[in-house]
Amino acid sequence: MKVSKNELMASLKKAFEGLGFHPGDYYDAADMVVWLETHGLDGFDRLQAALAYLNTTGPTHAELIEEDTSYSVLDGNDSSILLCGSEAIDLLSAQIMEGSAAGLQLNNCYNRTFILQRLVKAAQRDLAFIAYWRQDACCIKVSIAAGADLPEHQTFSLAEVIDPQSLTVFAGTDLVVVEQQFSEQIAIGELIETYSSAEMSICYQDSVEQGIEIDEVLWSTLEGLVERILVESTESSRAGAGD
Amino acid sequence: MQADGKPRVLPLRPASQVMRLERLGSFHQSRLSFMRTLVRRMVIENWQITSPVFDLDDQGYGTVVYQVEARFGIFSYVLFSHYLDPDSRNDRVIANQWDLTMALCEGTVDADQLAFLRTNVPKQEAGRVDSRVLVLSRANRSGRTFEYVVDELAEGRQPCIDVIAEVGYLYRTTAAYGSGKLGMADWEKVRTKHPDFARPFAAEMFTCFMLRHFSMQQADYLAAQRAPEKAVILDEDIKRYIGIGNSTGLGMAPFLINHPMLINQWIEMRETALARVILASESGVDESIFVRLAASVQRVIQHLGEIVTADERQSSSNILVRQDLVLLHQWLQDETAALVRENYDWANLVEYAERSFHLETQEVINTLLIELYPELVDDLEEHMGVDESIRVMPEMSVAQLLQIIEDKYDWALAIDFSQYESMGAFWYRSQEKMEPRLGQTNIDMGMEKEMPMAVGRRVRECYDQVSAYNLTCPQQNVAHFIMRNPNYSGIVGRVQTMAQRCYGDIRENLVHSDVLPIHLLRCKLSFFGVSKFDPRSRLWVRNTMFQGAPLISDFGKPFADEWQFPIKPVLTSG
Repeated sequence: MKVSKNELMASLKKAFEGLGFHPGDYYDAADMVVWLETHGLDGFDRLQAALAYLNTTGPTHAELIEEDTSYSVLDGNDSSILLCGSEAIDLLSAQIMEGSAAGLQLNNCYNRTFILQRLVKAAQRDLAFIAYWRQDACCIKVSIAAGADLPEHQTFSLAEVIDPQSLTVFAGTDLVVVEQQFSEQIAIGELIETYSSAEMSICYQDSVEQGIEIDEVLWSTLEGLVERILVESTESSRAGAGD
Repeated sequence: MQADGKPRVLPLRPASQVMRLERLGSFHQSRLSFMRTLVRRMVIENWQITSPVFDLDDQGYGTVVYQVEARFGIFSYVLFSHYLDPDSRNDRVIANQWDLTMALCEGTVDADQLAFLRTNVPKQEAGRVDSRVLVLSRANRSGRTFEYVVDELAEGRQPCIDVIAEVGYLYRTTAAYGSGKLGMADWEKVRTKHPDFARPFAAEMFTCFMLRHFSMQQADYLAAQRAPEKAVILDEDIKRYIGIGNSTGLGMAPFLINHPMLINQWIEMRETALARVILASESGVDESIFVRLAASVQRVIQHLGEIVTADERQSSSNILVRQDLVLLHQWLQDETAALVRENYDWANLVEYAERSFHLETQEVINTLLIELYPELVDDLEEHMGVDESIRVMPEMSVAQLLQIIEDKYDWALAIDFSQYESMGAFWYRSQEKMEPRLGQTNIDMGMEKEMPMAVGRRVRECYDQVSAYNLTCPQQNVAHFIMRNPNYSGIVGRVQTMAQRCYGDIRENLVHSDVLPIHLLRCKLSFFGVSKFDPRSRLWVRNTMFQGAPLISDFGKPFADEWQFPIKPVLTSG
């Protein structure tokens, strides 16, 4: 079945609320899923993986473990980027605004591809980012220039041992400088695949024009989560609707 | 520019005055209301509307397709008319059958699409449509007027205008869904692909306008079916006076809380219009404008006198406003010559009204002043949409955040939430079609599933938490506060974003025991452009849409755009 972006956003917000997310968190999480799916990065598949975890635990956020003026280390407490991605990028953004460049390592976190939407949003404040993480036997590098609407998503072979559940993000005001900082600290392998911003844009335009295809089982799962925030209807409650 | 070369500052009213719930609930439609801007566009651009399919049986049931040639595109308005058992007629959102169901679609509609729509549109929320559909809507007949009007026409008579005046419409719409609900086109698609409807709620309002057209066409049709030799068609002046009924309940209320940026924009444009008008009158006002204002005031006096409502509060308010306006009218009649001589300006009138007249009278006067200067106001209609992003500013110091809350949310900090009444109500979504409802704390079930409508309380909680954090970590920024207190990210982002806007957050405790949600509904409805508010309780209100508006047959003709505050027509024929 096909749903619209607005409809999907509304459903996801309520579904995340049903999972115990707070306002702010459920807006951000819904934004992340919709962005990934509408830009051709399998948002629904990643959501299903996240739901398997989120459905069994309460919402868990990241903790700040170490911090100096330009580098922070966070423990994601085995949580999803849907919950800890916003605060991590906000922390990094604040650091850049107080200095010129900064880096962040978020350990023990899952569903890292969702970070793309947070980077795109933060880039609107004239900040540039490069995010990097291991995905199975490869590495993913995502870069976005200051003020850009869309990032570039690249897949590389693995060149060094990387923690399988960590996410590293470098940031600054100029992508060239951030790239330099990144290359000084990270050894990357061969480029395997590039998913360009132009391809993302085409996918997005199609989503807006035609709607978004969603598996009925996933839609039904979301509806089940939405049920959790609804209150049983009684004669008394109908009085509270104007009867 | 002023004489000293500095740019003139528009005298916008402060949020502390405008954003009070009771004032918002006193708003009336203005030139910037969505029905008004839509009608201007349709008439001036001379939209062509035909009905390639008009397939009704002798009872008026069947299918109608109107083809709409607007300035930039072609659209189809598809309508299904069904038999409905009178006992099943229900205006509430939980209803599942209606007299009419409709869809506004992009482009033309072929047989396959029509079959698809016929399967899904009558089901409304229980069906699915696709991104070719912009709006889905439904309507019920008025038990008081529809059959009466058809009978009269079939007898060769025009209906009595007093009967029409008491109700105001032949059909009531009970919902007009857009913005991507049920698989429809996203607002983003409508906004970017269809300039004809690229203003907030333009497509939804058009759907109601077309319903109005159909309601009268169907009445004419049925009368002709019943008495082909004897029937007459509705008089055009009566037709203009027939609107569409609307019932609006709590479902509309959360919108105003969940879209603070959009609400800010609408109110800022309305306030900008008022400020422009006041500024333009600084060097005095022409006599002709005073005369026009007096005529408008007289019209509102008559309009309010013709409203029939059983609601005591609204009825008293209408009487008080009329009394105020009678005084104003007399004053304008007596003093216009002197006022012109003395270079009287509208700032004086607004200040006088604030001192001497009731709240609703003040807002009627503001609306009338805006009405007098289309050349100063109408360009604002292009600025009613906005990017609604709420952004956390993580670099802001917690001390600055505290300062912002103290400056901009002093109204929230002034509420004593330790009082039971301050948290005596809560908002929740019912299992019945997710209908928003208002519950009483400790009496109704569902408090643990409360919707986040209590912005004031959330700000208070956030302020207390930030204050405590600031004592232990005074040099930290918002990013660090949120790391330690992630549950506050939503309200922090809202405070930071809205602090940069003039309006947006309603300055009232929306979970107080005595909260009047009807003010929320009325505020939004005023931006839609409805008239004749008839509250049925503190939770829902009936009103009329497009009453007094031009007909399709008026499109392309000279147009005065003065159909606000509709009054009974003086019939010239028969």
